[in-house]
Amino acid sequence: MYQTLLTTRYLTSRVIPFIAVAAVALCVALVIVVVSVMSGFLNMVQSSGKTLMGDVIITYGISGIPHYEKLIQHLNQDEDVLAATPVVDGWGLLRMPYPDSKAKQSETVQVWGIEPSSFAKVTSFDKSLQWTTPTDNQRDWLLLDAITANQNSLQESMDEQQWNLFVVLVNNASHAMNLEPVSLWSDVQDLLNEEQWNTLLEIDERLTNPDAILQQGLSLSQNGTEGIVSGLHVSEGNERQKDGTYQVIRNDYWWLPRYEGTLTMLPVDSQGGIIEPESRILPFVNEFQSGVFMIDESRVFVPIGVAQELLHLDRAEIIDVDDPTVVVGVDPARVTSVLVGGANGITAEALQEKVISMYDEFVAQLPNDEIVLPPTRSDPGLTIHTWEEQQRRFTGPIEKERELMRTLFSIVYLVVAALILSIFWSIVYEKTRDIGILRSIGASRGSIVWIFLQYSLIIGVIGSGVGLLLGWLITKNINAIHEAMGNPPLGLAIGVFIIAACIAMYTASKLRYRTMLPVVLGSLGFITFCGIGALILFIRHIGGLVIWDASVYYFSIIPNELDWPSSIVTVCGAVLFCLLGAVIPAAKAADTDPVRALRHE
Amino acid sequence: MNSSPTLPILEGRHLQKTYELGRASVPVLHDASLEVAQGEWVTILGSSGSGKSTMLHLLGGLDRPDEGGGDVMFKGSSVWTQSNRFINQYRNREIGFVFQFYHLLPELTVIENTTLPSMIGRSIQSTLNAKERASVLLEQFGLGHRLNHRPRELSGGERQRVAIARALMNDPSVLLADEPTGNLDEETGNEILDVLQQLHQDGLSIVLVTHNIEIANRGDVVVHLRHGQIEHPATLA
Repeated sequence: MYQTLLTTRYLTSRVIPFIAVAAVALCVALVIVVVSVMSGFLNMVQSSGKTLMGDVIITYGISGIPHYEKLIQHLNQDEDVLAATPVVDGWGLLRMPYPDSKAKQSETVQVWGIEPSSFAKVTSFDKSLQWTTPTDNQRDWLLLDAITANQNSLQESMDEQQWNLFVVLVNNASHAMNLEPVSLWSDVQDLLNEEQWNTLLEIDERLTNPDAILQQGLSLSQNGTEGIVSGLHVSEGNERQKDGTYQVIRNDYWWLPRYEGTLTMLPVDSQGGIIEPESRILPFVNEFQSGVFMIDESRVFVPIGVAQELLHLDRAEIIDVDDPTVVVGVDPARVTSVLVGGANGITAEALQEKVISMYDEFVAQLPNDEIVLPPTRSDPGLTIHTWEEQQRRFTGPIEKERELMRTLFSIVYLVVAALILSIFWSIVYEKTRDIGILRSIGASRGSIVWIFLQYSLIIGVIGSGVGLLLGWLITKNINAIHEAMGNPPLGLAIGVFIIAACIAMYTASKLRYRTMLPVVLGSLGFITFCGIGALILFIRHIGGLVIWDASVYYFSIIPNELDWPSSIVTVCGAVLFCLLGAVIPAAKAADTDPVRALRHE
Repeated sequence: MNSSPTLPILEGRHLQKTYELGRASVPVLHDASLEVAQGEWVTILGSSGSGKSTMLHLLGGLDRPDEGGGDVMFKGSSVWTQSNRFINQYRNREIGFVFQFYHLLPELTVIENTTLPSMIGRSIQSTLNAKERASVLLEQFGLGHRLNHRPRELSGGERQRVAIARALMNDPSVLLADEPTGNLDEETGNEILDVLQQLHQDGLSIVLVTHNIEIANRGDVVVHLRHGQIEHPATLA
């Protein structure tokens, strides 16, 4: 009972408990923020494997899986299968429409031939599309392209005076648009009569239908021709801004990207030998962003038929070796993979087992007279993996990194523990005389240890509670903080310098008292705030900092979910360390000879 | 007081205490014996470093004599052969300590400092009773208006009176005062001694330690502590 009284008084009438609470809170917040971001990052890396992949993947990369339609039909019959979709996976070269000169740039791309509708069911393809409704500026570029492509018919519909005005208007606009938005849309609308305007708008569906871009991306086609949806980082036209959004260079000039790309792939024959390269010219209909940098910088989606053609995996007739005019059978179209998405919350592992048995059934069900048979499961080239297994090569090193982080963090915990221990050591040491007094009026050793146990428990609980709150706030707002750090407002610098000036004036006013502490504190504060202000100005001068670089960390945003299990362990650990940190010196103090404790100053 | 009761209330028997200072052993008390009768005021007179404080600490259960170095008898029974629990209770209930430097807890108010022994002892009195008793004691010592002040807001004399009130809180059998006026000016010191005198007249047994002969003359019995031994017979002033 007297212990409670003393504990409360010790807590409320001194500065040191506040320092201790602040120290515990800062340590807890530090550990929580770093662990949360780190494990959030690792979780993102792991689950990113699942992005655009589904739960279970059947792969036969060598020559593809024939009769895959039947396999998919069979898989779809199971109630635990949400959907299954075929994929043709291969590498190719994509010749980009840029630069403006005749020599164009090529990108190495991972080509995925997909069936858009079922692919969107298995993956989140539809949600990853970047462009929906075009902005006014983007629409102006579409209009300009439509005018350029149809200038002959436009000229026919105009008299000479109107045409001359029109050419000047469009030419001026096409130069100016590289630099800044212009009012091409309304200018052209004003110049043309209603009939001419409507004819012009009919040329490109995207001019009038705000959903056309998205629809074209979802169907991988544009006005009936097949098109490409490429990763957002494939095209060099897209520039990532510091706030994580994207801007297209030259004021949207290379949006989508403009014009067509040429996709070249190397087909292999049934023995694995390379045949002549195949190429297709395809317009870019949309772009996607999965959030995983490695995917976004290299993958493009094309309709499955295009990829099958380019890789010679499409349906073909088998001819007699001796007489090329005799058709002896049909080699069905093939795909390299089938992606399966699970339903009803089934785990990837459980789904994998089901898919394995269903694959066996599929092989068994095929008629015996088929000339071309799919690989059996005894074929080592055939794999049926969960998404985790499929991504192991990618995530394996990162799992190792996570282990390394955990090891490093156990050292951080030790540092925190040592800090708390030393704070409590000094608190108890300072109270040694009190302990002697209490002993002289009959307090037992145990009851004295209990005072400091209560004391440290309260500091530990409050400190780690505040730390948890602080850690939660920082973690939740880490992207905003990162942005502010990368691009600090000028007002912040001014504010910091004002604080520095106030401190300097205060310190100067204290100089005549010839005391050391205010001068030391004031100078330190002045230097610190000046340093912060200078740093802010420097960051502004170099145009901001990017600490979290998407191209290094794979993701465009910093994970901002609190890692609750680790946080709770941290909080409990901090309280425990507080107890340990206090109980050891308190026990030592309680054991001190009361007479010696009384002499303690 | 000429009549001595049959059994002394407090008795130090052949007390021996050695302090270890690094490698050197410094003998402080050597076969020191002292008897305090019920209601008697014994003053131990000695020069600085003679071991008089140590004597008081041994008597009050605060410091343990050397192994085999005598014992303290309280009302005829041994103190230092008992359990720690017993010795804690002995300090709490039977002994009241008054120190030269007051030794009040700076974070607690006057009334809280005074009630502390009662709270530690979880004595028969409830908290309310304890508070009442503490206020009565403090009132008696002229501190009625200081109950909720912190020790640092009091003068030296006031602090020492609070310390005495705290020592009396659990109604002890013996008051042990270690240079209670050593940190005070003469006038304030005399006031404190007057308080002790009054308590003595009311029947409290007191052992006071000092190096000042004038102060020593206030007691019934004065003994000298020299070379670690109590010199008998003591002369009455």
